Amino acid sequence: MDLTPLAAGLAIGLGAIGPGIGLGMGVSKAMEALGRNPEASGAIFVPYVLGIALTEAIGIYALVIGLLILFV
Amino acid sequence: MPEEEHAESLVHVAIKAEELVEIGPFTVTNSMVGTLIATIVLLAAAWWVSRNAQTVPSRLQSVIEFPVEFMANIVQGQGGHRWRSIVPLILTIFLLVLTANWVGLLPGVGTIGVNWTDAEGHTAVHPLIRPASADLNFTLALAMVAFVAFIAWGIKANGVRGYLKETFVANPAYMTPIMTPIHVVSELSRLISLSMRLFGNVFAGEVLLAVMLALTFVVVPAIFLGLEMVFGFVQALVFALLTLTYITLAMAGHGGGHDEEHDEPHGDADDAGLSEQYATAGANRP
Repeated sequence: MDLTPLAAGLAIGLGAIGPGIGLGMGVSKAMEALGRNPEASGAIFVPYVLGIALTEAIGIYALVIGLLILFV
Repeated sequence: MPEEEHAESLVHVAIKAEELVEIGPFTVTNSMVGTLIATIVLLAAAWWVSRNAQTVPSRLQSVIEFPVEFMANIVQGQGGHRWRSIVPLILTIFLLVLTANWVGLLPGVGTIGVNWTDAEGHTAVHPLIRPASADLNFTLALAMVAFVAFIAWGIKANGVRGYLKETFVANPAYMTPIMTPIHVVSELSRLISLSMRLFGNVFAGEVLLAVMLALTFVVVPAIFLGLEMVFGFVQALVFALLTLTYITLAMAGHGGGHDEEHDEPHGDADDAGLSEQYATAGANRP
């Protein structure tokens, strides 16, 4: 039995847990900050996007590993 | 490669760009067509604006000016007093990645293809156009441009000696054997994470669109088209912002900052930099 698809599914599935939690925490804090101080949206925006991107990169690594397992 | 099993599947997924036509030793792939379309769109927009620009912008001019102003404002806020020399690179990266991402949303991209027979005689349908960012060659090349750029700016701001000292010598000198490998790996991982992030996002987006098109009926994929439009913008923004952050970090210097080569007081750009520095080189900071 070929377990390759299962391995790829597990790679992205398990790998998405951490970034999912991290993204949720990041976005919730950013929204909280925005709610407390709406004028600071400009100052929050750039660090927010960068932080989200760095968090999300972990999920993308998992995706890449999943693709490598499937196709290489 | 399990091509045979996947040949009959509903969704066509290929991780590398597919060949379209061979001109001598040079093979044209479908991501090249996507890159060409993005470039032509950008050049046409630039040509049109340079011909027809007015002080009171028309509607089309406003549309073209909006991303330029948006990005230039961010660079001005982040880049310190040298922001004018950084703007062209960041803006080019942003606009090119944005256009390249949105090429994937055009109707017919990934669905209209040509028959291609490879050396072993297998015939497959290769899509005519593939968005450039869904090809690792394109994103890796862009990441290399960014990589060379932030090293060059670091050397320009701190001098060759200052740059080498910042990169290879940790702030308490006895920490150097531990910190230097970590630092080198973190510098190189920027290259990988920049290229893989863009590639992964756009490629996954293309697969998502294809799956939704195969699974559901007419209206549902449209929702995901909208989603991909947002993602395409965000990824272009992220790529440009990360390049900008790396450049400002390299220009401001990493550590204690008592290098005599510094030709400017640093502070504002350093503070504007991001948590990445804390995450990867935290021990370097006083």
